[in-house]
Amino acid sequence: MPGGSTPQKFDVIVVGAGPAGSAAAYLLAKKGFKVLVIERGRGAGSKELYGGRVYAAPLREVWPELDKEAPIHRWVRKERISVVNGETVATIEYTASKPVSFTAYLPELAGWMAKKAEEAGALLVDEVRVDEIIVENGKIVGVRSGDDRVYADVVIDAEGANRLLLEKLGMVERASPENLAVGVKEVIKIGGKNIEERFGLEPGEGLAWVLVGVTSGAPGGGFIYTFKDTVSLGVVVHLRGAIKAIESGAFTDHVYKLVEGLRIHPYFRKLWADGDIVEYGAHLTIEGGLSFMPKKLVAPGFVIIGDAAGLLLNTGYTIRGVDFAVYSGKLAAEAVEEAFNKGGPTEENLKVYEEKLRDSFVYKELVKHRGIEKVMKDPDFFTKYPAMLTLTLGKLFEGEYEEPTILEALLSSAREAGVPLLSSLLKLLWVVRRL
Amino acid sequence: MRIVVGIKWVPNTQAVRFDPKTGTLIREGVPSVVNPHDLPAVELALQLRDRYGGEVIAITMAPPSAMKGLEHVLGMGIDRAVLITDRAFAGADTLATSYVLAEGIKKIEKDIGKVDLAVFGQETIDSSTAHIGAQVASWLDWPYIYYVHKAELAREGVLLVERRLEDRVEWYEIELPGVISVAMKALKPRPVSLIRKIRVKQENPVIVWTNKELGLDTRCIGLKGSPTIVSKVTFTPEVPRKKVVYKPRDGLDAAVWLLEQLAKDEKAGKVIERAVRGEF
Ligand SMILES: Cc1cc2nc3c(=O)[nH]c(=O)nc-3n(C[C@H](O)[C@H](O)[C@H](O)COP(=O)(O)OP(=O)(O)OC[C@H]3O[C@@H](n4cnc5c(N)ncnc54)[C@H](O)[C@@H]3O)c2cc1C
Repeated sequence: MPGGSTPQKFDVIVVGAGPAGSAAAYLLAKKGFKVLVIERGRGAGSKELYGGRVYAAPLREVWPELDKEAPIHRWVRKERISVVNGETVATIEYTASKPVSFTAYLPELAGWMAKKAEEAGALLVDEVRVDEIIVENGKIVGVRSGDDRVYADVVIDAEGANRLLLEKLGMVERASPENLAVGVKEVIKIGGKNIEERFGLEPGEGLAWVLVGVTSGAPGGGFIYTFKDTVSLGVVVHLRGAIKAIESGAFTDHVYKLVEGLRIHPYFRKLWADGDIVEYGAHLTIEGGLSFMPKKLVAPGFVIIGDAAGLLLNTGYTIRGVDFAVYSGKLAAEAVEEAFNKGGPTEENLKVYEEKLRDSFVYKELVKHRGIEKVMKDPDFFTKYPAMLTLTLGKLFEGEYEEPTILEALLSSAREAGVPLLSSLLKLLWVVRRL
Repeated sequence: MRIVVGIKWVPNTQAVRFDPKTGTLIREGVPSVVNPHDLPAVELALQLRDRYGGEVIAITMAPPSAMKGLEHVLGMGIDRAVLITDRAFAGADTLATSYVLAEGIKKIEKDIGKVDLAVFGQETIDSSTAHIGAQVASWLDWPYIYYVHKAELAREGVLLVERRLEDRVEWYEIELPGVISVAMKALKPRPVSLIRKIRVKQENPVIVWTNKELGLDTRCIGLKGSPTIVSKVTFTPEVPRKKVVYKPRDGLDAAVWLLEQLAKDEKAGKVIERAVRGEF
């Protein structure tokens, strides 16, 4: 096939084989559309063991066989939230009656979704980067990669949070570093038996653990997830607040040090004692949320889904987006099909995607968590309040002779932590309502 | 011209870790890649085809997962590929591997047509033997030359190759059919193209041969056909780094600073003293 550049035409081109792209491609291919998926990485998802927790119900709407077939590691039965202040740790644990989320290595899960799309008849081409979305006469008509151009009636942009293509189209602005968060994580292999023993789980059950107060005063938090035979621990720090924290001198360490601090923390280290670190990595992520959403999610012959559409929730210590991505892919697939039935993928006809999204749980979740941004800007949430809480509990539980009342403990702790009690309680309540 | 180019599907050694306790490779979760030193060979073969016409066929002896690697070189512009895969070939050293590859080339000649040139990379990142090109040439009884940087037809049936050595550049003429190994980094491999990759997916131009098709004597292939014994592997101990960074004004400043630092070190200090006393 020397040189060959015969024009190729598809019904739909999907850019990016992440959860969003694969869900859309799967559903459209199943309906008989001629679908091309282009992914710049090798295979779907990156090669890393990036792991997280994923909510199952939205995925089941696309793949009812999810529970049986997907590379699920553990169903999350136990949730823990800990506030850490130095060596003291205050923890709340909740055991769910019926798990609604599972842990998975995201690349494995994305790989499964992409395979599903291929099996349904979508053509998946990997190791090829789309350089540009082609616009002709105000309509999006295809994609360019190097000198190759491939055409389609609809292009679905599922390029993820790093929206170079949308930037080129002028549909979004470049994300400023202020709106980014950096995550650092380690994956430690300790074996399935150890996980079940050390975390008090039954075989197949998992735990998701959120940590506040492990970021040296920078806005952010930590997480611990259990997988088949590994545990991942990590820390997310928001750059906007981190810059402030560095300037104020509260935060002096390298982010890598934060994860290390968690790994060797006297309370936590027993959990992964004698384990091998099998993976280590850092990621930049967007803060996501409504402010990250492009003004328009459709254009003539064009639909934006997943992270690229801003459908990501970064609560400060955990990131959630796989279920949103998949669900937006499903809505886009429905919208594209309806548009074809109505005479073609004009902007008018594709608009139904935006409507469907606005009516869905995805949008509602994003609205509900709007307050997170405010939390991220307030350093007190990562320094003073955790200190206040653990100091209070310390006073309650560590009195050798006398035991203070809760109010006494709260008042004196607030004084020590340097926050006015009433306003901080109000703020905490306000946050809790939005988390 | 019909050119065959050899490809190896190797664990990405940059991602491989060693278990210092057992001395074995930890291959778990390590992605495989096309041996990077094979890509200049692919590029050279493609350039020859683009210039003189004909076709390039990739050949590999590998587990079925190597299909992914073949897709990569097909995406670069290779016309079709032969995947030789069979449990019987597992555990092969370079002798058994080159034997199978040479027999594969013979079968290509029988089934598809005369082969003018076989091209290999200089060596592989996972074993660095640099044997395969030479051994395949020996099995086929074809002329062989390595460290090749450039090649063109001198005249019908004769290839003019340029090889660059440390202190000189040499030109050789070799009669075809022949075998060449291309030097590492001699040429920049072209990127995978979208349209080619779409066609690869649509047409799947990969021929799969097992030993049923090749019919080789099982004493000459796989583990049984491999006389090589790895008797021992040791590891270079990791040297703890001091992690000091110095930004010198210029070269002299850098040298002075470095000497000062070394002089502070007990062992290095003694060596420097002896050097100053002219003991070397
Ligand atoms: C550190 C981290 C932890 C996370 N943890 C969780 C978690 O625990 N639970 C959860 O639900 N979510 C989590 N998320 C979020 C989740 O990963 C995303 O929301 C989800 O992957 C979004 O899916 P997507 O398909 O929109 O984008 P992506 O998964 O980012 O996929 C986009 C794909 O497009 C490809 N691509 C991009 N540009 C091009 C181009 N020009 N040409 C070709 N291909 C291109 C990329 O290679 C990529 O494969 C986490 C994210 C991060 C960064």
